[in-house]
Amino acid sequence: MKNFSPALRLLAVLAVIALAWSLRTNTAAKLPVDYDEDDYLRAAQEYAAVFRSGDLRGLMEFNYRPEHPPLAKIIYGISLLNVPVTTLLPDRGTSASPDQFLPLPQKKAARAVAAAFGALEVALLALLNPLAGFLLAINALTGKYTSQIMLESLPAFTSLASVLAYTRYKRQAQKGWLATSAIFLGLTATSKYLYAVVGVAILADWLFATPKTLPDLKRFLRLALLWGGLALLVFLAANPYLWPNPLGRLADSLFYHAKYSTTAVEVEQNNFPFYQPFVWIFLFSVGQWHPDVFSFVLDPLIALFACLGLTRMWKRDPVYIFWLVIGMAFLLVWPTKWPQYMVVLTAPLSLSAAEAIGGFGVGIWKDWQQAHAQKVNHTLERRDGRRALPWLIPGLIFFAALTLYPLIFQFAMSLTDFNSTSIMDGLKGGVWREVWGGLTGQIKATPIDSAYQDRAVTFIGAETYLPILDYITTSGILGFNLLWTFLSVILQTGLGLGAALLLWNQRVAFRRGWQALFILPWAIPETIGAIMWFTVLSTATGWLGLAAQKYGETIPFSFLLNWERNPGATLLVLLICSLWYGFPFMMLAASAGLKLIPAEVFDAAAIDGASVWQVFRHISWPLLLPLLLPAVIVRGIFVFNQFYLFQVSQMYGNFSLTTLATLSYNIFNPAAGGFGRPAGEFAISAGLNMLTMLILVIFVVIFTRWSKAGEGLNDA
Amino acid sequence: MRKLTRWQQLGRQILLALIGLYVLIPIWITLRLAFDGALIGRPTEFRLFPKQFSFEPLLRVLDRPYQSVEFLSLLKNSLLVSFGAAILAMLLGASLAYAFARFRFPGRQAGLFLLLLMAVLPPVAFMTPLYIVLSALGIRTTLWALVIVYAAFAMPFCIWNMRAAFQAVPKEVEEAAYLDGAGYLTTFAFITLPLALPSIAVAALIAFLMAYSEFALGWLFVEKASTVTLAMSIYSIVQTGNAQPWSQLGSLTLVISAPVVIIFILFQRTLLERLTFGAASD
Repeated sequence: MKNFSPALRLLAVLAVIALAWSLRTNTAAKLPVDYDEDDYLRAAQEYAAVFRSGDLRGLMEFNYRPEHPPLAKIIYGISLLNVPVTTLLPDRGTSASPDQFLPLPQKKAARAVAAAFGALEVALLALLNPLAGFLLAINALTGKYTSQIMLESLPAFTSLASVLAYTRYKRQAQKGWLATSAIFLGLTATSKYLYAVVGVAILADWLFATPKTLPDLKRFLRLALLWGGLALLVFLAANPYLWPNPLGRLADSLFYHAKYSTTAVEVEQNNFPFYQPFVWIFLFSVGQWHPDVFSFVLDPLIALFACLGLTRMWKRDPVYIFWLVIGMAFLLVWPTKWPQYMVVLTAPLSLSAAEAIGGFGVGIWKDWQQAHAQKVNHTLERRDGRRALPWLIPGLIFFAALTLYPLIFQFAMSLTDFNSTSIMDGLKGGVWREVWGGLTGQIKATPIDSAYQDRAVTFIGAETYLPILDYITTSGILGFNLLWTFLSVILQTGLGLGAALLLWNQRVAFRRGWQALFILPWAIPETIGAIMWFTVLSTATGWLGLAAQKYGETIPFSFLLNWERNPGATLLVLLICSLWYGFPFMMLAASAGLKLIPAEVFDAAAIDGASVWQVFRHISWPLLLPLLLPAVIVRGIFVFNQFYLFQVSQMYGNFSLTTLATLSYNIFNPAAGGFGRPAGEFAISAGLNMLTMLILVIFVVIFTRWSKAGEGLNDA
Repeated sequence: MRKLTRWQQLGRQILLALIGLYVLIPIWITLRLAFDGALIGRPTEFRLFPKQFSFEPLLRVLDRPYQSVEFLSLLKNSLLVSFGAAILAMLLGASLAYAFARFRFPGRQAGLFLLLLMAVLPPVAFMTPLYIVLSALGIRTTLWALVIVYAAFAMPFCIWNMRAAFQAVPKEVEEAAYLDGAGYLTTFAFITLPLALPSIAVAALIAFLMAYSEFALGWLFVEKASTVTLAMSIYSIVQTGNAQPWSQLGSLTLVISAPVVIIFILFQRTLLERLTFGAASD
């Protein structure tokens, strides 16, 4: 981002802020009332009444839902001063379903304030990195909870401000920035306790950055105490509810949370597993709840990219990593796991994703320039071309007919509305007629809303891709597909490499036997392997389920029981099948690679007294990586398009996790159906296939780029 | 190679046994179901071994596993389609692969990129276009249609793999043959091809396996019971849900896996030594 001129950068920041504001006002206008919104609006009404009465002592008396500190609620109260007064909303339990009929002007005013702080949070992040700001702006989960009357948007803003002020202090050593950081931290804690984890992150980073000498540590201790003390003072000052009885009321609210997390009905009913935060971040798309409000939800993709940007973010400033790790650790341990808590992490996640994308962008740009700098010898190519011709011609004809023609036809289909209604026309050349006419301008494109009805194929154009992209992102399928590929390939490579290393030494007993056994899953057709695993794991009829019936629910692997109902556990089960089927291939690739490493290298390492881990980390792994890459890419493509496992899995449980290839097949298949349309949508399936191709090509490019970067790191 | 101490050996064996257990569990459960004569419908209790050991489900599967279609007919269809697809993909792909491996012709990079595009397409992408071509040829509902579809599906991968195999043959060997007066074709047929053959066989095996386990495209083409393959039949049995006869399903999975497993075990040495994984530099 450094090569951007300041003006361009400013423009980008402004554009991102405008985007964030418009997205948040849009969601604020459209979203239905959520749990707790009615409660916080009631609290705001009370504060508005206090302000109107002019007797501000009321601030010390009121704090509806006292378990949460009052600042955000007070600010919502101020927002109500300009709108007509209504009767106080009724006092309802936390588990009561939300009251959809909130007074409209009040709801609007309060949500506007929330959206404003939401946009401010984006603005702060955009100042640091415009791309990160953009990603946070389009993050649907953050967008939802920072434009509703929730307690998220104010502390999300102040906590980010606190961290940014601290990083300023680190670079410039001006105590003013430290004080700013403390003030914002205090305000954060007065809005919602949870967001104060950034305070812990700052402390951790501070200690980490302090040289470990006695004078430095003493200085750190003194400053940190001052910083913490100031934050505490701000917390008390901004929290009038605590003034009459500070310790008692503080203890009440803190104990409430401990009790709530273990006893509340709604918490128990949901019964989220400890890893639910990961499910919220990587597997869930808010679009599933509000398909009409959100489109193009990229949250899971952003999270996935964030994983790739961690090292770059660490180099930028470790405090963001501390923020992510400490925040995540807290969410994993804390028994209550509402989705809105993820807003604590979305700012550093967006930053990390932006770092990853920025890194790839720069790298690919450099590759491109390098590739163009190389000159090709054309005469040599032409002479070789004549000799190659006889070899090319026979294969080329069939290749063109069998694979090239389908590719072009798929693209043509994807621009039309070809489906089972227009099947006769399409099969008799209607697709070519329409696409040729459409692309040459002889036929006018039909608007997408009036298509899909006719018995003749009609040309729509590239517009067909928009609803497909919207669907695969908003439903979270694309995010799942990428996460699936990422996890499955890592596991397969890990186990395959592990098995190959275990079997490497020729003196291992029964070496051939183990090898033959481990290849077995690869020889078993994928469909069959999937059926076998579901026979083991299905809760109703599987071996595991039957074992639980016989020996009680405390058997090993009992956490997989009822996996059909939990997306996290479903993913785990699917990964078990996929790993079983896929690791032998990686084992073979790894053994083939290991054989190519000269034994002398290891002898030399042994003489130098290297440990097993050192040998692996500094010799085997760097030498093996380039040899493993092609296998990893082949595996990655295969796993991304994994079909048979998912198709069979639908017979054993009805869940929404699927790959694009499976989706495409079921949309295509006239006997199956999906996608909210009748089955036999050939054109939509073709569009999906084109997108799959595009995604995989990008994936291959990024991956080769990333692995090159990895090699560079190893050389350094 | 370094000698292993007794503890190192033991540790390795324990880890290997754990992986072995992971590999064996689903196979064992399938065996237990396949040979349980007492099982009617779905399993209702946890067992490690069959309640009543019997070959009956296996024999029933070997007779008529799917509706009234005979097992031998299914097997014949499966083998015909899989061998056909593998051989077709090899025959058509070999010359292209050789050209990509040996010559630097204009458009080579573009061709390789195109090959990658084909390889990343999901299988269903081949469906409509080939449906139209095969209908025009009048062979859409025959087994030949399946052979062609599966060959098209496997071809990009086969070309990719064979190209690596040809590249692995040292150029010097070919040049020596030219110097001795052999033509291009002679060199290819008598020098390069035999040297690359084991790797090509592996690619063929993978193409075979792709076709052997395919059911989804098959069901979109096939209309008559006489052209159903084994993989297609097992999928339609699974589709019936819990009503499926579980012990027969177990037997059928065994019977389907057995031929491939035997081939793999026979080819194990080649697999371990010759698989190149497309690891040719480019």
